[in-house]
Amino acid sequence: MAEGNYPINIWVNEERFTKLDKAGLSHMTKEAMAGLKVIFVYANDAQRDKLLKVYPGAKYDSATTKSIELLPRKVKDEIFDLVIKNKNIDVLDEFLKGK
Amino acid sequence: MAAIGHGKQPIVERILEPAEARKKIQGLTQIPVRSQIANEIIGISYGFFSPIQGFMNKADVDSVVKNMRLANGVIWSIPIVFDMSDAEISKYGVKAGQPVVLSYDGNPMALFEVEEIFTYDKKAMAQSIYGTTEEKHPGCSRTYKYADKFIGGKITLVNRPKINEPYGPYFITPLEMRKKFKERGWKRVVAHQTRNVPHTGHEWLMKGAWSQTYAELPIDKPLCGVLVNAIIGEKRKGDYIDEAIILTQDELRKSGYFGDHNHLTSLTFWDMRYAGPKEAIFHAALRTNLGLTHHMFGRDHAGVGTYYGAYDAHNLLAKVQNELDIVPVYSMNWLFCPHCGEVTSEGLCNHKSEWQKFSGSLIRSIVDDGVKPPRLIFRPEVFDLVMECADKYGFGSPFVTDEYLAKRIPVFSIPPLK
Repeated sequence: MAEGNYPINIWVNEERFTKLDKAGLSHMTKEAMAGLKVIFVYANDAQRDKLLKVYPGAKYDSATTKSIELLPRKVKDEIFDLVIKNKNIDVLDEFLKGK
Repeated sequence: MAAIGHGKQPIVERILEPAEARKKIQGLTQIPVRSQIANEIIGISYGFFSPIQGFMNKADVDSVVKNMRLANGVIWSIPIVFDMSDAEISKYGVKAGQPVVLSYDGNPMALFEVEEIFTYDKKAMAQSIYGTTEEKHPGCSRTYKYADKFIGGKITLVNRPKINEPYGPYFITPLEMRKKFKERGWKRVVAHQTRNVPHTGHEWLMKGAWSQTYAELPIDKPLCGVLVNAIIGEKRKGDYIDEAIILTQDELRKSGYFGDHNHLTSLTFWDMRYAGPKEAIFHAALRTNLGLTHHMFGRDHAGVGTYYGAYDAHNLLAKVQNELDIVPVYSMNWLFCPHCGEVTSEGLCNHKSEWQKFSGSLIRSIVDDGVKPPRLIFRPEVFDLVMECADKYGFGSPFVTDEYLAKRIPVFSIPPLK
């Protein structure tokens, strides 16, 4: 597994929670920000740079959170679906293939 | 008694009333200007940029670039320039000694007493102001897009802007602002500089700065206020829309997280330069002109990307502190600590391994993912108002889109001269 330092926060809305629950993966969520559920998918340097290039509206919040923010929702849905399929958060190489 | 602003100069409005304006501009060539110039005309003529009285001549530009001072020695960090191409100069017959009228929205806006036409090394300007010449820095990009000649001369407003709704109550000039502070009995006022919708991190920055500013003053009646001064200017796709910014900032007061006794929201027209430390110096001058006594500066003030160090602005302010008439209030970050169970300051909480930092971008990602942020990090009244602004002003989005840029109601208009 490639080491990653830069989290993408997949915030767990109702639809995502239903999918996680159905797949028996609700234990993968962490709690953050006073009660929200989130799945952290980590990017390494190369993955981060590629994400920012492919999705120019996204940003690496270097000032405060050190996370990759503002990825379009459908992109995060796609990453989330890969997490469900692989039962693993190490999905970015697969996600970025061909992008 | 004169209102004294930056550089210990009196604030003087440079505005003609309609009857005199008509006489002065009769027969003069009219030159249409873009929104940046219109914003700066307002800044010059109402005294927001005092002691600047017009667009800079070469001596001032050169002194600002080389020494961070006007030619008369007053600290000033960002050139205020009017650019024109040779073709435009020829088309409009611009000559030193011959005044022209600058127009906006097709109507006369300002008398421009042309004194000088000059060139200046734009790369040198960019390096000095932004600390880089990279075109991807938005300030450098703006500088390189300037036409090749600059025109210096005094500006007088001949036609007051009509401030469109919902911005009306928030356009408060330097002279009016002093009256408002006096009405409220405020002895000290600390500026909160913003271009964003507030999350609770911002709210606590203001509360922390208010306490730092209040300091040793007696507490039997409220003597200290926070002035939110939102910078309203050029928008980029993905910014919050201006209506959401100004209304949500005021919502913190209306919803009781602050009150009339300690909080006021206002705006200044200015295209953000992202000049980091040099913009911090500009902000200090601007807010001195607005009558403030203190100004909060967080980390990487007015920065962009990774061009500036976290404390570069603080260090530059410290170097010229004895020449500024506003006290900098340096603010530490606020964050959520699950152990403390609250939003707390990084200067106070020692549960460092448990800290959860949040930012406007992170909160926006939460909203984009279809999740409502908890009230501890984003007030529900602010959230509801953001959604309301999206429907009412944003064509369905609280963020700037191509549709918003094309169809929005402008913040101000210049009406026909009466």
